[in-house]
Amino acid sequence: MTHVETEQAKGEAAPRPGLYMHVPFCASTCDFCAFYQIKPTPGMIERYFDGVERELELIQPARTYGTVFWGGGTPGLLTAGQLRRLGGLVEKYLGGRRATEWTVELAPGSVTSERLEALREIGVTRVSLGVQSFQPRLLDALGRQHNRGQIDRAYERVRSAGFASVNLDLMFALPGQEEAEWLADIDTAVGLQPDHLSTYCLTFEEDTALWVKLSQGRVKLDPEREAQLYEATWARLAERGFAQYEVSNFARPGHACVHNLNTWHMHEWVGIGPSAASQHDGWRGQNVSDLEAWAAAVDRGERLTAEKTCLSPALLAEDALIFGLRMNAGVDLARWQAVSPAAPWGGVNALLDRMVADGLALREGTRVRLTDRGRLLADSIGAEVMAAFTAEEVVR
Amino acid sequence: MSSVPLTRNFCIIAHVDHGKTTLSDRLLEYTNTVSHRVLTAQHLDSMDLERERGITIKSHPVTMTYPAKDGQIYKLNLMDTPGHVDFSYEVSRSLAACEGALLLIDAAQGVEAQTVANAHLAFAQKLKVIPVINKIDLPSANLELCLKQLEDILTISSEEAILASGKSGIGIVDILEAVVSRVPAPRWTDYPQPRALVFDSLYDSYRGVIAYARVFSGSYKAGDMMMLMNTGQRAEIKEVGVFTPKMMKVDVLGAGDVGYFVSSIKTPSEIKTGDTITLANKAATDMLPGYKEVRPMVFCGLYPVETSDYEKLKAALGRLQLNDAAFVYSSESSLALGFGFRCGFLGLLHMEIIQERVRREHDVDIISTYPSVVYHIVTHGGAIAQIDNPVLLPDPGTILEIREPTIKASIHIPNDSMGDILALVMEKRGVVEHTDTLDAHRVMLTCMLPLNEILVDFNDRLKSITHGYGSMDYELSDYLVSDLVKMEILVNNDPVDAFASIVHRDKAEGKGRALCEKLAEIIPPQMFKVAIQAAIGGKIIARDNVKEMRKDVTSKCYGGDISRKRKLLDKQKEGKKKMKQFGKVSIPSDAFIKVLKTN
Repeated sequence: MTHVETEQAKGEAAPRPGLYMHVPFCASTCDFCAFYQIKPTPGMIERYFDGVERELELIQPARTYGTVFWGGGTPGLLTAGQLRRLGGLVEKYLGGRRATEWTVELAPGSVTSERLEALREIGVTRVSLGVQSFQPRLLDALGRQHNRGQIDRAYERVRSAGFASVNLDLMFALPGQEEAEWLADIDTAVGLQPDHLSTYCLTFEEDTALWVKLSQGRVKLDPEREAQLYEATWARLAERGFAQYEVSNFARPGHACVHNLNTWHMHEWVGIGPSAASQHDGWRGQNVSDLEAWAAAVDRGERLTAEKTCLSPALLAEDALIFGLRMNAGVDLARWQAVSPAAPWGGVNALLDRMVADGLALREGTRVRLTDRGRLLADSIGAEVMAAFTAEEVVR
Repeated sequence: MSSVPLTRNFCIIAHVDHGKTTLSDRLLEYTNTVSHRVLTAQHLDSMDLERERGITIKSHPVTMTYPAKDGQIYKLNLMDTPGHVDFSYEVSRSLAACEGALLLIDAAQGVEAQTVANAHLAFAQKLKVIPVINKIDLPSANLELCLKQLEDILTISSEEAILASGKSGIGIVDILEAVVSRVPAPRWTDYPQPRALVFDSLYDSYRGVIAYARVFSGSYKAGDMMMLMNTGQRAEIKEVGVFTPKMMKVDVLGAGDVGYFVSSIKTPSEIKTGDTITLANKAATDMLPGYKEVRPMVFCGLYPVETSDYEKLKAALGRLQLNDAAFVYSSESSLALGFGFRCGFLGLLHMEIIQERVRREHDVDIISTYPSVVYHIVTHGGAIAQIDNPVLLPDPGTILEIREPTIKASIHIPNDSMGDILALVMEKRGVVEHTDTLDAHRVMLTCMLPLNEILVDFNDRLKSITHGYGSMDYELSDYLVSDLVKMEILVNNDPVDAFASIVHRDKAEGKGRALCEKLAEIIPPQMFKVAIQAAIGGKIIARDNVKEMRKDVTSKCYGGDISRKRKLLDKQKEGKKKMKQFGKVSIPSDAFIKVLKTN
């Protein structure tokens, strides 16, 4: 295994749970964004803080968290003071230790020295910048609010603030984007020497402006072009020393995102804030996507969880495969066979063997992982895994 | 009613589109049988489809009254005959009900394949043939050529020809006068017992089966006990009547009359076209000549596109069969297409018409499998099995020989397309028996072809090669031994029954390759490798691969996405359940439907 895979595989042993906090505020809505986000008013921010405090108290039993991830919306919309205050709320639950990894997502336009200083102070270790593209034309087309100059300045500030790890988010397969432009974006990003890169193929999600354009036929889907761009991305980043460890994630040694690895390994995490997802204490679910409803519920002492699912060992094993196979290191079947001996492993193994025979997967000892071609088909494979887990249930 | 000597029974025969129906309409209008106001264009063709295609499928007789120049009032019974080779038996029965025929020739097109075929049918029935050159007012009319062809090809004196235009009403009186003076009075009227020839029938949900018949001798009235001579079946006559063209009840149908019989018979298959109706108490001993059991020649599977439409399709086929005894069906099921029906037809047009009526009149979306003819399979034990579905072909080891139906075709073409047509005939395993020159520009090829080979695209290609000027007519000929094999199409090593076919060994590879290619192109890209193969008895003769799926992956999939992603994958999984399983490959059935549709 490569160093990143070793690193990633280590994450499989159960760590302390992760803490995800959703900061639901955004100054504007990007064309591709399907996340819950609203334009904030001072009253709303107060309401949010109170809610976060209440919800953190509500999680029983009181526990300490290993990693923290602030996403959104954009946490960068909060002032330095507000960031300190939010950090203070989290600190109580870290058991007097520093978080192993504490990530904050920031839009380049919101990166100020004051905010960065506040983040460093509270213990943030990792900054993820939503760059998306370096091409002004494409940034414009995506409805992003920043420009190239702001990206460079933001990156410079984050670097000089001394965070242990910096990630850049980039997007490809944008309408009108040439392959050469995209590869140039990758090179520009690599030239900045970040520790981590996330490259996202533009996805059309319902309730986004892009979806509307797609359904009106103004934008066309082209899976072949997307496949080529994926392959070109993987090849280019490998050449540049960024090892892929998940479909869309690449890191230099020691910089894979521990918080995310934790979720893909089907460990536990607690989601705080409206629309945040959680998985702990035998269930998975998502907070209501409405600031007021969420806040009112936690005021009453309850978490309004939508679509709460009970996690049986078999379901966890199934999801560990579906989502774990997206990672380059793949999945250790032995671990999941131990967790859920009753799951229909016969059918699953037959499927995996077939995938191996067709060049979609590789098996080494008790581990199974996807080939590059398999990884491009992770959703189809996921559906097959799901079918394999349900097929024998019927027989039993 | 007028007496027998003042009755004339005649029909109009022509090549498709030579103006038969328009001319019929003019005759009805002139004799005031149908007023101009009521006369929808093409009055006699009552089915939408017939009107649209300009063809007649069912016979529509009509009785006209005509005061001739000789001062007598004549009763003229006009039989509108089906105009296609698929219905040649029905045509022959309609002709048998007449004493004369108007042979229509389009002045711009001249004599064509069906003109000749129909003329020969009329001669065979010993009808007086009156040639009518129609559409003489067209700028492209070539009278000289038509008259010459009449003499050269049909050996009819050009002096007998009447010049007419159904559209402009030219020559209508000449035609009516010729019918009166040249067509003989009804024949066989002095036969001692009553005889009437059934030439068509109609099913009415209230009155049962209504037989259309020509009375040759005797008389029939309500209350009589009639007898069908072929089966001996007896039934009480409830009503007799004539066509004006609407059905009009009369007291008696006598010798020479054309009319209808309503009886206690409710089952359409009990009254067959060509049977003779006599009376039970003074039964005739000899049937009228020419009765024949009609057997379907072309078969295919019909399946509902939506499985939920199965019952609707079943009901539609049942209703169509009530009015079309030549159409047969029975239930069958297919791995690829689900539950459906094996259907038998007189020919390709008949098949097309039934399919079209199911779609239009009964609003069921259907898919049909490749048409097949009826093969005679001779096994080592000497038994002969008739197989109309390739899937049912017995183990090749037990087969001594396979015989296939052939046709004798006359193909009329312009000289300059001779080379291409000969190549086409060769490609279709045909043999040209002789070539006749029709005139300076046209030739007629007489050839033997396997029926199987003309099922799909022969006529289309004939038309395309000859830029629409070629025409063809055929009659069924013998069953001949041929080197035929069953070709199967395998998807991921599983045979797909809907694509099994019986083909000539020499053509199997090419056909197999084309099918594999088409399927590989139409089946949506698959995650696993899927081979499409054509095989003859386990030997692979062609193969292709379904396109490999290139990309199906969600880019962002973090903690918050897991529940939503699961839902999408679940949908994907459920979607697969609805597809057809081939080994572990799931293929949407509409892929098969698309392939069948493109061929």
